[in-house]
Amino acid sequence: MTKVLREYGFTIAGIAIGVAGIVALGAMGERIVRFIEGGDRFVLGQISVAGSGMGMGTGFTAGGLLPVSAIRAIAEVPGVAGVQAQVMLPLNPSTSQFMTLTQELILGVDLSVPTPNRQFPRLPVRAGRDLGAGDHGVAVVGASFAASHGLRVGDRLPLEGEPFEIVGILERTLTAPDRFVMMSIEDARRQWVAKDRLLRTVIASGAAAVNAADLNTGTAVGWRDGEDPDAVAHRIAERVKGVNVQIPSELSGLLRSSTAFFSALLVGLGVLAFVIGGLSLANTIAAAVFERIRDFGVKRALGATDWQLGREVLAEALAVTLSGGIAGVGIALLLGAGVDRWAARTGQQLFLFSGRLLGGALVFSVLLGAAAAAYATLRIVRLSPAEAIRRGA
Amino acid sequence: MLEARGLVKSYRAPDGGPIRVLDGVDVAVGAGRLAVVVGASGSGKSTLLNVLGLLEDADAGEVRLGGERVSALGRSAKGRARGRFIGFVFQTFLLLPSLTALDNVLLAARYAGRPAADARRRARELLAEFGVVERQAHYPPQLSGGEQQRVAFCRAVLNDPPVLLADEPTGNLDDANGRVILAALRARATAGAAVVVVTHRADAAAGADAVYRMRAGRLQAAPPQGGAP
Repeated sequence: MTKVLREYGFTIAGIAIGVAGIVALGAMGERIVRFIEGGDRFVLGQISVAGSGMGMGTGFTAGGLLPVSAIRAIAEVPGVAGVQAQVMLPLNPSTSQFMTLTQELILGVDLSVPTPNRQFPRLPVRAGRDLGAGDHGVAVVGASFAASHGLRVGDRLPLEGEPFEIVGILERTLTAPDRFVMMSIEDARRQWVAKDRLLRTVIASGAAAVNAADLNTGTAVGWRDGEDPDAVAHRIAERVKGVNVQIPSELSGLLRSSTAFFSALLVGLGVLAFVIGGLSLANTIAAAVFERIRDFGVKRALGATDWQLGREVLAEALAVTLSGGIAGVGIALLLGAGVDRWAARTGQQLFLFSGRLLGGALVFSVLLGAAAAAYATLRIVRLSPAEAIRRGA
Repeated sequence: MLEARGLVKSYRAPDGGPIRVLDGVDVAVGAGRLAVVVGASGSGKSTLLNVLGLLEDADAGEVRLGGERVSALGRSAKGRARGRFIGFVFQTFLLLPSLTALDNVLLAARYAGRPAADARRRARELLAEFGVVERQAHYPPQLSGGEQQRVAFCRAVLNDPPVLLADEPTGNLDDANGRVILAALRARATAGAAVVVVTHRADAAAGADAVYRMRAGRLQAAPPQGGAP
C-alpha cells in the first residue's frame, strides 16, 4: 500500500476528488429520497380525513372544520379500527400552507386514543419522553426544530404567549416530523384560536355553534386487519357527509407526482455525477497506466507475459481505485459533516450518507478503475516491447 | 546458440514511404562468443538487436535460439523465452524509477519464475561483485550513471541467460565505468554466453570474437581486433 501511495499519489488524489463528487451529490439525492419516502410511508399508513371546505389546516389535514360528530360517525364505519382527532397548523401562519421541506408545524393529537398510523404508530424519541394521556402545557419537538431553536429537554418554548415545556425531542427522521411541535389536541386548539382571527371572531359572535371538541383540522383513521384501506376510505366518503377523505393510494400518487420534479432532478444529478465522476476516474486510471508505458515495455523485455503484466496492472489499479475511493468517501463525509454542521444552525440536514450509497460508490469506482486499467493494458500489450520503450522514452 | 537468417525490417517514414533498416541480415553467434556490431547512427544496429532479442518482429526472416525458431512464437511465448534465455543491457539503463536497485535486479527473476530467496541471494552477490551492494536500497535517481548501468547489468545476468544483448552499453558512461561494463560483457562470453554488443566505441571491438559493420541495413564482417582494453 505504501508503494502504491508513493507511486500514485496524484492519481489517487484525482480519483478521490471524482468519487467525492459522486458521493456528495448522491448523498444529497439520498436526503431528498428519504424525505419523499417518509411522506409516502406516512400517507399509506393511515386514512386522512378533513372537514370539507377551507380552513387553517395544512398538508394532509388541509380542509374545513371536522366536527366531533363527524369523527364519531367515521368511527362507526365498518372496517375502521381507530380514529384520532388531530389539529395541524403552520407554526407561522404567514408562511405558505403548502407543506414544504422547511415548514414548521404544530401537530396536536388526541392523546387518549392510540395513533392509528400503521407505519408510524409511535415516533422515535431521542431524548426525554413521548407525549402521554393527560399531558398539557408540554411539547415534543422534531430534531430539526430543536436544533434550529436551540431547544433541549426541560426548556420552555413560548407559543402565542403560552409557555410549553419541552419534554422530548424526536430522533431525526429526515422527513416532515423533524419540524413538528407535537402537543395535546387541547393545547393545539388553543394555538389555533390564538392564531386565527376569523375563528376567534366567529366563536365570539356566537353565530356558529362550535364547541372546543369540534376544532379539528382532521383525523387519522386506521383500518382493521384484512381490510383494503382504499375501500375503507371510499366507505367513509359514502357514509359520512361533509368530509374530505384522502384515499391512501391516491394521496401517495399525488405525493409522488408532486415530487416528480425532485425525482427527475435526482436522476439527473445521479447520472451527471456518475458520468462526470466516472469519466474523470477512468481517464485518471488510463492516463496513469499509459504514463508507465516505458516501464511496461521494460517488464516485457525482462520476460513478463501479457497475463503477468495484466495481473500486475489490474492489482495496482484496484489498489489505486480502492485507495482513491476510500479517500473520496472520506472527503465527501468530511465535506458533508462540515456543511451539515453549518446547516444545522437552521435545522437543516443536506446530506444522507447511506450504506448503499457509500458501498455503491466504492464498487462503482473499483469496477470502473479495473475496466479502464484493463483497456489501457490491452492497448499497451499490443505494442512490441521495443515500441513501448520508445514511446515511453 | 543465437542465429538469424534473412532479417528484413522496414519502418514507415513521415512521408509514408518505407525505410528499410534491415535488408537481409544473417548473423550467428555461438555460445562463449562475443560479437560486436559497429556502425553509424541510424544504420540499424539497435533494430537488429531488438529483433534478435525478440523485442520486435522482423518483416521477414527468422531468429533461432538453441536451434528453436523463436521468432515464430506467440507473444506470451516470446516473453517467456526472453525471460529465460536473453539478458538485455540498454544504453539508457531502463531501470524502473519506483523500485530500489535491488528490486530492479530482482525483476528479472520475477518473470522467469525463479524462487525469490535464491534470486535475492544471487542479486546481492552480483551487486557486491559490481561494487554497488551498499546502494541496493537506493532508487535509480539517487544513483550515478555508472552505478545505474552496473545495476542494469546485474539485472541482465541475474538468471544467467545464455544470450546477452547490449545496446550501446557504454554510451552514457565515462571511460572508467565503460571499461567495467565492457570487461563484464567479455567475462560473460568467457563464462559461456553468446554476447552481442552494439556500439560506436572502437575499443569495444577489442578482444571480440567477431566484429560486424552495419551499413545500409546490411551486416558485413570486419576483421576482429586483438587485445584487451
